[in-house]
Amino acid sequence: MISVSHLTRTFGSLRALDDVSFEVSKGEVVGFLGPNGAGKTTAMRILTGYLPASSGSVRVAGFDVLTQSIEVRRRIGYLPESVPLYREHRVVEMLEFQARLHAIPRKERASRIEAALEQVGLTDRQRDLVGNLSRGLRQRAGLAVALLPRPEVLILDEPTSGLDPMQRLEVRGLIQGLSAQHTVLLSSHILPEIEAVCRRVIIVDKGRIRADGTPDELVTRLAGASHVRVEAMVGHDVEAALRILRSIRGVSAVNDRGRLGIHHQFELTCDEDLREDVGAIAAARGWALRELSWRRPTLEQIFARIASGASDEDVKPSAANPRSVGVTPMPSLDAPVQISIGGTVPVGGPKSAPSTAVGAGPAPARVVYNLNPFDRGASRSLSRPKAVEDPDRDTPGAPSA
Amino acid sequence: MSGFLAIARREFAGLFLGPLAWTLLTIALLLQGWLFVLYLKTSGGDVDISLRLALGESWAFWALMILVPPLITMRMISEESRSGLLEFLLTAPVSDAAVVAGKFVAVLAFMAILCGTSLVYGVAVASLGVAPDWGALIGGWIGAVLCSGLFAAVGLFASALTSTPVVAAFAAVVANLALVTAPLLGGLSDQLFVRRAVARIDVLDHHKSAFLAGVLDTSYFVFFVAWTIVFLFLAVRAVEARRWR
Repeated sequence: MISVSHLTRTFGSLRALDDVSFEVSKGEVVGFLGPNGAGKTTAMRILTGYLPASSGSVRVAGFDVLTQSIEVRRRIGYLPESVPLYREHRVVEMLEFQARLHAIPRKERASRIEAALEQVGLTDRQRDLVGNLSRGLRQRAGLAVALLPRPEVLILDEPTSGLDPMQRLEVRGLIQGLSAQHTVLLSSHILPEIEAVCRRVIIVDKGRIRADGTPDELVTRLAGASHVRVEAMVGHDVEAALRILRSIRGVSAVNDRGRLGIHHQFELTCDEDLREDVGAIAAARGWALRELSWRRPTLEQIFARIASGASDEDVKPSAANPRSVGVTPMPSLDAPVQISIGGTVPVGGPKSAPSTAVGAGPAPARVVYNLNPFDRGASRSLSRPKAVEDPDRDTPGAPSA
Repeated sequence: MSGFLAIARREFAGLFLGPLAWTLLTIALLLQGWLFVLYLKTSGGDVDISLRLALGESWAFWALMILVPPLITMRMISEESRSGLLEFLLTAPVSDAAVVAGKFVAVLAFMAILCGTSLVYGVAVASLGVAPDWGALIGGWIGAVLCSGLFAAVGLFASALTSTPVVAAFAAVVANLALVTAPLLGGLSDQLFVRRAVARIDVLDHHKSAFLAGVLDTSYFVFFVAWTIVFLFLAVRAVEARRWR
């Protein structure tokens, strides 16, 4: 449906697109992912015929974008990021204008407009002035305008930018609904957006395509090694524990991350999920497991690596995607153990960041492990290991500094 | 073709959905009406002379011609390029020429209404018993519309060159002023070829000596149409050039 080959576009000395080639077949939903300024919008503008390419060729639905521009434009529904609509017109008038531009027969106009309004859920707001609509509604109106000619290809540039989370969900749902009837190409710099909607992702950066495939494929292909993290009470013979862990088939390296209270933490580098193996060994050796989790880099981290042009090191698994099993203590019971919030805020310090204010008590809190900040029980103090003592706690959950 | 009509229709409707068109119409009507009464008084009640003044012999007429079309056209391309609407139009299945032509026809229709108020004066004096020279009146109106078309084409060209409406309006007013005053300046020259060259772009003379006299001379007609097309062509090119920037 869309075929781009060796597309290059320069603005003066800037190469906005550099030898970009890709194909999109009918019915695909493809996400263009890249940081701001990567060339997403330029690529889309070339696809829609708004900008000419410096070199290379683009065909949409079999027509060349440069020489058969009008034919291509007839088949494309394009929603630019700015959602251009005439503010002084009503929603329905805007749709009528679009219907005339696309030469939709007069007889069909009313029913088609009604259908488009229904599709985006704007039927009851059709008499509103476009200028009075909220950002989310405007986005929907823009989508209705793009959908009205029933285009074969739908090109959406940052369709969720500037929307609040609820509106974003709505628009996302709308786009998912569209994928049945249209070939959709959408761009975003927000990864979850793309992951939620698109079955295929093209990552662009600095005008070049860095990766192309389904999100899962990209993760498998680009992620490299995954890690199993073990935190357990292994006794004093750490060396023995290390030896045992190294002996597990599939483990390429074990990283001793040191002692945390009475527990010891290891990180196993491996290609697959070895949690069961580690769990079995822990059970056999009688280690009290505290954490056993498997992390692989998320698409987000791969994206970040590509975008920053950094080395593999940056794609180290983090806690963004923890799949913990095992004997993790229930966080609700001993939950926020540390980081006393009631401490003194430094004079002149920002009040909006109380979590950085460390308690002024005798033993300043030390963050020991930093899980996902949205997890309960985010951090613990080394100075008061939970299992050993804590007699002076007044109320559960209310930490004393 | 349908795209061109759709754009012309939307632009025309869009003009009247904003305050600018109404304001300009009001000011123009007040000025023209007041001056027409004044002309009638000073000419001792000569309806034909008054109508000639209202349709081309007076400074007020040319001031309106120079000022109003650029003010109408200033936003048409420059602001749309800034708000992204031009992107919408240029990715719709219509040619660049149709976009520019659609906008031009909308301004032309607006100017036809504005100039058409003089016809109302004709009807008014006719109903009072003094029939004006209808040929001269209608010819003058056609000439005035053609003049404003030329100035609007200049305005559209200026609007396509910049993304700031005020700059577009200013540039167009200056260009229109140059167009109108060139014959006056050219007349100062001793050189024959300068005078001849200037006569080729003499908007004032072409309007006054034919249309205002009630003569629909095709060569004079072509004069306006040709210059208008030149500026519209430049405007289309300027819009196209935006794609490369």
